This record gives sequence, structure tokens and C-alpha cells, in this order.
Amino acid sequence: MSRPDLLAGVRVVDLSMGWAGPLAARHLADMGADVIKVEDCVRFDWWRGWEATQEWIDAGGAEKNPAFNMVNRNKRDLTLDLSTPKGGQLLKRLVAVSDVVVENYSAGVLAKLGLGYPVLAEVNPALVMISMPAFGTDGPWSGYRAYGSTVEQASGLPHLSGSPEHPPTMVHVALGDPVGGLNGAAALLTALRAKSRTGLGQHLDLSQSQCLFPLGIQGILTQSATGETPARLGNRSARHAPHGVYPCAGDDEWITIVVATETQWRAFASHAGIAGFGDLADRLARADALDRAVAEFTSGQVAELLSAELQAAGVPAAHAASGLELAGDPHLAARRFWKLMNRDVVGELPHPAAPYRVGEAPFDIDRPAPTLGEHNREVLTGLLGLAEADISALERDGVIGDAPRLPP
Amino acid sequence: MTTAGALAGLNVLDVAGTVASGYCGKLFADHGANVVDVEPPEAGFATRREPPFTPNEPPPENSALHAYLSANKASVALDATAEAERLRALARGAAVILDDGRFAAEHFADVAPQVVVSTITWFGRHGPYANHAGTDSVCWSLAGMVRNVGPAQGPPLLAAGCGAQIVGGLAAYVGTLGQVIAREMGNAAGPVRLDTSILEANLCFTETAGVGGYRSGRRGQRLGVNRFAPTYPLGVYACADGWLGVTALTPSQWKNFCGLLGMEQHADTPQYQTAIGRLRDYDLLEPVIKRQVRHRNASDLVRRGQELRIPLAPVPTMAELFTTDQYLARGAFAQVETPLGNTFAAPATPFRLFATPAKAGGRAPRLGEANARLLA
Repeated sequence: MSRPDLLAGVRVVDLSMGWAGPLAARHLADMGADVIKVEDCVRFDWWRGWEATQEWIDAGGAEKNPAFNMVNRNKRDLTLDLSTPKGGQLLKRLVAVSDVVVENYSAGVLAKLGLGYPVLAEVNPALVMISMPAFGTDGPWSGYRAYGSTVEQASGLPHLSGSPEHPPTMVHVALGDPVGGLNGAAALLTALRAKSRTGLGQHLDLSQSQCLFPLGIQGILTQSATGETPARLGNRSARHAPHGVYPCAGDDEWITIVVATETQWRAFASHAGIAGFGDLADRLARADALDRAVAEFTSGQVAELLSAELQAAGVPAAHAASGLELAGDPHLAARRFWKLMNRDVVGELPHPAAPYRVGEAPFDIDRPAPTLGEHNREVLTGLLGLAEADISALERDGVIGDAPRLPP
Repeated sequence: MTTAGALAGLNVLDVAGTVASGYCGKLFADHGANVVDVEPPEAGFATRREPPFTPNEPPPENSALHAYLSANKASVALDATAEAERLRALARGAAVILDDGRFAAEHFADVAPQVVVSTITWFGRHGPYANHAGTDSVCWSLAGMVRNVGPAQGPPLLAAGCGAQIVGGLAAYVGTLGQVIAREMGNAAGPVRLDTSILEANLCFTETAGVGGYRSGRRGQRLGVNRFAPTYPLGVYACADGWLGVTALTPSQWKNFCGLLGMEQHADTPQYQTAIGRLRDYDLLEPVIKRQVRHRNASDLVRRGQELRIPLAPVPTMAELFTTDQYLARGAFAQVETPLGNTFAAPATPFRLFATPAKAGGRAPRLGEANARLLA
């Protein structure tokens, strides 16, 4: 088995760091593109670690972050110090034989290195290049520093979740990143399709905060189409009851139950032995009493068993999973969602499948994330035709390398 | 040539009519593909019955959500199951059929030999949960997106909205377009059915937590509203003029944050040089941060903080979103028109192709509006 060759022949230079950009490139890698991640021994992908010390480097810290390892599988890794003339020159040579560049530097950084889109497009006129800063490449915030959390904050979505007694409520440590990454992949494939039709490359950008708007689309449209500001309802719904997260047996065990139709209500009430509530209007009006009755029913039960029973009765329900349950989930296991692969320095790691597949088996994964500079020789000699002596000189001058260094 | 849209010439049918398929199809339509909603006669797609509803318009043409999803698409009213032959005629030459599990690719092979039948379901077509009932909250609950949100003592908090389905539709767009391009490049040929699991798409948020669970055998802990390990400070804080979004991750961001807020006494504390070290002293630091920002303006703190390279941002309310400078400058919102002529602002495609721009806004079709034109 090997990964699909849907995008065989497409070469991607991945200059991005962190989560969003590398995830965008991962989707292309998973479908068979040759993705070459370009890092620097000093300014390496900050997601390897943002609190580097010599001790951390010596202990292999830069290779251990599972988050880094998840988004960089199926890629090759090349180090190049882009602040040196030689490094910049080699990047241009690489871009000349590639189709796509992914970058998520802060606005203006690549231009300062003399490697902005206009320069790279001159090297390769058919280039598809995406810039994916937090807020886009233009506008008053284009230079703003941001993480996935900042992006969620700036999207306004926290005003839709939580209860009125809470501050506007975030739902993830870095919500903007994976959504930005998926949108980056979508943008790149859209441009690659235009290129396959017309031969034309182009520059793309995205705004990670705008990428989040559709996730809260009902709230946004409530404001714009009705003029009303959407209320924050905690775990309640204005349209369904019961609707919430209810306690189960054990320490911090919970079940989510969403009764969305009257058929589901009848099935739920019968299964739970809950009587005395009427139609939706009645249940919404007496939501406090209803929630108490539901919680009384769930509180002695095992969340995963109860959700299976409710699902068998046709009621949407699920236990509130943690990472531990994700790793052991029987459905994901039956679908072979996790693939165990050995990763240098770390050992065995489960790797998640692409979310789309053909047939019952997921797309295979060729290899785990590369170590820093793992493919320097392979890329520089095999692809760019450098001689061994050139490579030694690059190593000596610190343009390439395979070990992280602290800034001088 | 360059203004036709990146996906010009692609014919797409949506026979599923879910938020996920609708969003997937929307991305196709906004980039110039011909997208046809194949809707159940009389009722139309289920998304037509989803709020919010525009004032003073009758169903089934008054859902703003449906209009947002269906702008720039056509609509035919056709019973896709009962009228299989008419559906096949409509599918002639189709590149993509967005499906909810009813159709195999072979069904269309003779009329659309390169078709990608893109099936989007909550849990995928195989496996123990394949027939389970899904909702956005149920899906996020299974994906580990509920347990860590909310007060430490519980209950965990559900996110509002349809995030799970949007992410599912987006992932399906990526996978589907990969198949389309592969056919155009000659890397693949023939009809194919692509199976996207909305649950698995949403594991993009939590896959690292799954790896952590596998390696440690332990669960993470819910820390409280707007508290997520390992990052601190992180959160949404009340200011005099609105809400301030804060993240300070690196040692230099922390130092500058302390300077900005007048809490220099904490800047060089050795244990505060890591995010996790600061999180351990949450109870001590949080009241200080709250107090130091309460009487200041978020807009001012954001501007000065960003000058110091601290990731701060305003947290605009729904009403403020539409007048936020950055979103105005980028044309983040465009007018969508309902079938009966009501208009409202809705998010434009968040990514931009400078040579082949997407359509911004657009009009949604009346149920069955294209029957005379498209149905034999």
C-alpha cells in the first residue's frame, strides 16, 4: 500500500509553520503531491517548540511535539537559511521546478527576504502561491500577530456560545488553525484546477478569521437578515428540547442529547421513562424541569452505553469524548482511522486518516513527519543536481543542517 | 479567460440538501461551477426549513441560511429516488454529484463517465456508527470538542452553530476537488465514489488530543471557561469599550504583555517564562489581568499591543462584525438575495484567487425555478 497518486506530479514547497499552513499542505501530500517542507536550523517551524533552550534541543525536543508530527506526515524536509543569498537562491531553484508555494509568514517577511510572490512568479510564471496570514494580506490588520485563538476571538464567534453569565466563550485553544488549514487546501486545489484548465498560476490569500464565519453562520445571518442579535443560550436551543449535556456515572462523565423531532422525543421519553411533558412548546417552556428530569435519568448510567442505547432508539446522543476515547473509539478503529507508524526520536505514533476515502479503507500514509533537514541531500542532489562538494559547503556555512540551533 | 471562475465548466448536482453538502456545493458555485440543487418537490431541501428566516417572506423561500448556501446555484424540483431516469438525464456530463448515501457512482457511469459521487455522511458509510443519528453537537461531542469547554465543575458547554457540518462540507470539497483534478490531469479515470465522514473531518481539531490519549493513557482536564492548556494567558476580557481577545504564548509576548498592562512585577518571574508555568498560577494572575484591562479601551490595547507584537484582537459582537475595519477593507461580507428579493449581508468566500476571483454574494433560486430549463 502507499498513498494515492491523485496529485502525482504536483510539487509543493511548504514554507509555512505552525498548524494551519502545514495542514493545508498535508491534504495535498495525502493525495500524492510531493511536498517539501522548508525550514531553517535557527528559525525552524515554531510548532516544534516556542520555548527552545539548549537542553531542550539536546534532548531532541524539536522532534517530539505530536502536533507538529501530525500535520507534517507524507512530507520531505529541507533546511535552508533564507536570509543568506545562497539559501534564497536555492529556494528560487526549488520553486522553479515546483507548482505550489504555501506560506504563512507575517505580512511582508518574504518580501523583505526578496522572496515575495512577484519574485517567485518571475522564477516560475505558472506558480500557484498561497499566503495565509491570520487576517489576510491586506487591510489594517494585515500585519497583526495572531494565533488560532486570536483568530477565533476576532471572528466574533465567542459571542454565540456559552451562557450570558460567562464572558463570550471560546470553544478551542486554536480554533482558527485547522479551519484555516482546510480552507488553504481548498483554495490551493481551486487554483490548481484553474491551472490545469488554463495553464495559469496565480497568487491566493485567505483570512483565517473569515474562514471561521461559516461555523457561526446562523448567528451572523440572524443579525444581518433579521436585525436581531442572537441570544446566548448555554446548552439550550430555541428549537429543540431536551438539548444539552447531562451527567453520567463516574468522574466527569457526560452525555450529549439532542432531541430534534417529535418522533425522537417519543422514543426518548419512552426509553427514559419520563412522563408529564407535552409538545415542543411545553418542553421549551419548562426546560428547567425537563433538564432536571433528564439529568436524573442519565446520572446513574454509563455514558457510552447509554448513548449506544439512545442511538439504537433513534435519538441523537453521544458521550463527551476526551483524547483517550478518541484513541480507543471502536468506530474509528473499525474504520482503521488511526495508523500506527514509528517516528524517529518519538517511537510509535497513531496517525489520523484523511477525512475522505474511496471504499472502506482510508488513504494510506507513506511516512511520518520528517526530522529537521532529513531530506537535504535527497532534494539538493536528486532534484536540484547539486554536487557533494556544494552540499558540504552549504553545511559548513550553516545554510543547511539537521540540528536546531539557538539564535546567536 | 481569467474571469470565468476557477471551476468554470464543471457541472455539479446536489441531491443531498444538507448544510454540509450545501456548503461544499457553495464553494463550487462561488468559483464558477454550474451547481444544481435537486430538491424534493413541494418541501424542497431541509435547509429551507432552517432559521434564521427573513421577515415578511413565505416558506419555503424565507430561510436566510438556505439562501446563503444556495446563492449562485440553480434549483430543480425532482424526486431523485422515484424519478431515477430523469435524474440520470440531468446528470449527463456531471463532474460531481453531492450525495447523502443513496447513490453509487456506477449509477451514473454511462451518462457521466468521470463523475465523482461525493457522499457526505455524519460518520461515514461503514463502521459501527454508520447508521447513528448525527447533529452538530453530537458530532462535536464524539470528536472531543465538547468535553474541554465550559466550567470546570461542568456541565461542558456546546458550541452554537453548525460548525461540524461546515467543516465536513469543506473537507468534502477538498477531497472531491482532488478527485476532479486527478481526472483532468490524467492521474485517475472513471467514476468514483468518495466517502467523507463529518466526524473524521472534525477530528482535525482534536487529532493531537487523540495521540496524547494514546501515549499517556490519560484524559485532559476541563479547566474552565476560556481556559485551555497549555496556553495562558488566553481569553476574552471585559474592557471599557467592549471585549479584548488575549493570547500570550512566548516568553517575549509575556514580557511585553506585562509591560502593556502595568504588571511588570510578573514579567521576569522564572516560572512565568513558560505558558504552562503561568497557567499553574491562574488564580493569582487572572484577577490582576482582569483588573488591569477593565477600565481601558480594547481598541487602544489592541493597537498598542500589536505594536509590541502581542497577539491581541478585538472580539466584535455580531452587530460590530459588519463595521469592523478589517472586514470592510477585505469585502468580507457581500449581499445575498433571497428568491423573492430580500437582501442581507453574508460572509463572502474567505479565500481569494486574485486571477480568478470567486463570486461575492449572489441570488438564491426559487424551489424548482430551473425545471423548465433543465428537466427533460
